Amino acid sequence: MANPTLPSDDELIPRLLANDETSYAQIVAAYHGLMVHLARAIVGEAIADEVAQEAWVAVLRALPKFERRSSLKTWILRIVSNTAKSRLRHESRTVSLDESLEENPIIDPARLKPNAHWASPPAMWHADTPDALLASTELRRCISDALATLPPLQRAAVTLRDMQGLSMEAICKILEVSESNGRVLLHRARSRIQMAIEEHEGQ
Amino acid sequence: MPSCKDITEHSSDYLDRNLPWWKRMGYWLHLAMCVHCRRYVDQLKLTIDTIGKSPDATTPNVSPEEIQAIVEKMKRSTKNKDG
Ligand SMILES: [Zn+2]
Repeated sequence: MANPTLPSDDELIPRLLANDETSYAQIVAAYHGLMVHLARAIVGEAIADEVAQEAWVAVLRALPKFERRSSLKTWILRIVSNTAKSRLRHESRTVSLDESLEENPIIDPARLKPNAHWASPPAMWHADTPDALLASTELRRCISDALATLPPLQRAAVTLRDMQGLSMEAICKILEVSESNGRVLLHRARSRIQMAIEEHEGQ
Repeated sequence: MPSCKDITEHSSDYLDRNLPWWKRMGYWLHLAMCVHCRRYVDQLKLTIDTIGKSPDATTPNVSPEEIQAIVEKMKRSTKNKDG
C-alpha cells in the first residue's frame, strides 16, 4: 500500500504548507490506510476511520510547527496515536502500560517448576508454516479474537511492527513509550497470540 | 545461565537481535541444551510470521472517493483557520 510516487519529505512539506491540493491527495493516498490500521488497533474498527480523518485536520494544524525530529510518516502516525488515545480517555477507557510481569506473566506459572524450568513444556504444533496455520478457518478466527482482546497499546505495537514492518525506534516515537516499554508491549502481544495458536495447535 | 522462564520473557529480544552479547551467549547456551525452549522460540518465530500474513495484517483499503472526501475536509479546515 506504500505509495512509491510520494515525494520526499523535503519536497512535500512546503507544498502541504502552501495548501497544495495535489500534495494533499498524494499524502492521503500514501498514509490513510496505514493510519486507519493504527487507529483500529487502538480504538477499534467502529470509529477508526473517524479518528484517522480527525488526525488529518490535526496534522495540517500542527505542520507549521513540525520540527523534523522524525520522518513525516512517523510524526503523522504519532498524531493518529494521540488522537486515538484521547478518544479512549474520553470514553474513560484506560490506555495503561503497566501490566507488570508479576501480575501477567508471559507463561502461566503453573507451567513452570519452582526452579523456573518447564513443567508443562510447549507441545509440537500440527502445522509448521504460516500458510499451513492460516489454512484453518478456525485458527484464523482464534488469531483474530486474540488480537481483538489485546490491550490497545499492545495491539498497536504488534500492528506497527509485525504487520506494517516499522522499526522499533519509529514505533516508540509513535506510541510515546520508552524503548524498553515498546519491546515489552510487543513481546506481550506476540506471546498472547502464540498462546492462542498453541491452544489450537498443541494438542 | 538463564532459566526457561527468562528465555520466554526475552525471546522477542533474542529473535529481534536486541540482547547484549553476554545475554545472547547465555541464551544460546540454554537453547543448545533445552529442547523445550528451542521449540518455544521456534514457535514464537512462526507466530510472528503468521501474524504478518494473517488477514488482520492487511492495510485497510482506501477508495479514490474517500481520498477526495478527506482532501475536501482538509481544504475546509485550512480555510476556516485563515478566515
Ligand atoms: Zn529451557
